[in-house]
Amino acid sequence: MLSAVVRAFKTPDLRKRLLFTMFIVVIFRLGSVMPSPGVSYAAVQQCRPAGGQTNQLLGLANLFSGGALLQLSIFALGIMPYITASIIVQLLTVVIPRFETLKKEGQTGQSKLTQYTRYLTIALAVLQSATFVTFARNPSQLFPGSNCQQILVDDSLFTVGLMVLTMTAGTGLIMWMGELITERGVGNGMSLLIFTSIAAGFPGSLWAIKQRDGRWDTFLLVILIGFVVIGIVVFVEQCQRRIPVQYAKRMIGRRMYGGTSTYIPLKVNQANVIPIIFASSLLAIPGLIVQFQQGNPNPPGWVQWIGAHLVRGDHPIYMAVYVVLIVFFTFFYVSITFNPEEVADNMKKYGGFIPGVRAGRPTEQYLSYVLNRITVVGAIYLALVSLIPLIALVMVDANQNFPFGGTSILIIVGVGLETVKQIESKLKQHHYEGFLR
Amino acid sequence: MSDQKTVSSGATSGSAPQDGGKKGNPFARFFRAIALFVGQVVDEMRKVVPPSRQELTSYTIVVIVFVTVVMLVVFGLDAAFTKLMFWIFAGD
Repeated sequence: MLSAVVRAFKTPDLRKRLLFTMFIVVIFRLGSVMPSPGVSYAAVQQCRPAGGQTNQLLGLANLFSGGALLQLSIFALGIMPYITASIIVQLLTVVIPRFETLKKEGQTGQSKLTQYTRYLTIALAVLQSATFVTFARNPSQLFPGSNCQQILVDDSLFTVGLMVLTMTAGTGLIMWMGELITERGVGNGMSLLIFTSIAAGFPGSLWAIKQRDGRWDTFLLVILIGFVVIGIVVFVEQCQRRIPVQYAKRMIGRRMYGGTSTYIPLKVNQANVIPIIFASSLLAIPGLIVQFQQGNPNPPGWVQWIGAHLVRGDHPIYMAVYVVLIVFFTFFYVSITFNPEEVADNMKKYGGFIPGVRAGRPTEQYLSYVLNRITVVGAIYLALVSLIPLIALVMVDANQNFPFGGTSILIIVGVGLETVKQIESKLKQHHYEGFLR
Repeated sequence: MSDQKTVSSGATSGSAPQDGGKKGNPFARFFRAIALFVGQVVDEMRKVVPPSRQELTSYTIVVIVFVTVVMLVVFGLDAAFTKLMFWIFAGD
């Protein structure tokens, strides 16, 4: 294990990628604690409640930004706008014909879509930072329970505009850094940055549990639950339905090709963590709406309803909406990423076939048949895992922003596994043995 | 044997379920379709290959170690940067 790490750093290409990723992460963390212009740093630090007791409404958004949101830092918005924008664009590919044709166009269309996603991200970032800065002018809403009067140096229009501008620019920078990681580092940049943000909040919240109870056994029990859940998640991630594929033997010149039998691995959870990220960031939006209305002493009825039902993670309606969203996004994302028609076509082209199924259209139908039935289980699994810790932790009496909640643990394990596997495969290009023996 | 069966039903799965799908009132047909679907799901799940015990433990340990390391590094970075920011912006 340790020698594998050493070997990873001895491989020039991999070392470059690892160091690059670390470099980006360091910049990301630096930006997450650096205050925006116009914010009084000392005042914010005083207002921030100690020991993980944060604003309930902003819980998830703050979790995804790694605590940067409540520090009003230059990266306060984190990657949330980018995620939201990519969800919207992905959904629009189904709705708007022009987007659909772009998506089918291949490389050029895809880069056009990416461009739209970026524009939308900036627009969303302006919107969100304006919303956020507006109620940062009245900090008692941001940090309930503390008696903060003023965290901005002055609230002239110029300062507020500057803050909005800075946060938007920060989001743009994060977006770029995420893409750089995907391109030149290890792992998927977007998920890796979310991963870092969530990991940043872990020690603090764990310590808060220990502090509150003042006992080691609850603390250890919670960690143990965390390990068990990690084990279960790893188990399901590794479950595959292997569809056997035979390749016909053929002679090209004097060489014999094919004649081998392999399989197409279909993971039970083919969609990975994306549905969770999408569902939970969509569910963070009602919280932001409620937050915006909080200055209003007499909020309209629908806001009260949202505040009562869609914001707290332990309410049944919240859970139900969450489950529905996760199931929907699982099927949606699988249908986007795995295209049975393309796979069937490729197999036909290279002389492969599934034993007992004819090549071409029947193969395509068979693949989508298997995929649909397996994804049912995958979707139910994702929904369950994101709920079970919630229920279990209510029993141990931890609050819903607890770090080992289903959402964060699925993201942590999913991204961790994905990243380690990618490092592993890069390592194997040079040496045979990797981390995972 | 069971392989053969799924393959044939797989080929026809584009349309509505075939076995007796036309008979009975709409309710019965609806529930029969669901039962058929659940049966097919169970059938596919039987063919899923779980990871071996050794694979499972090594992956779990690697993930736990990786997460712990990243957590500690990020925590350290945050603590250092927060101190730095205090020193710069709050003169402390």
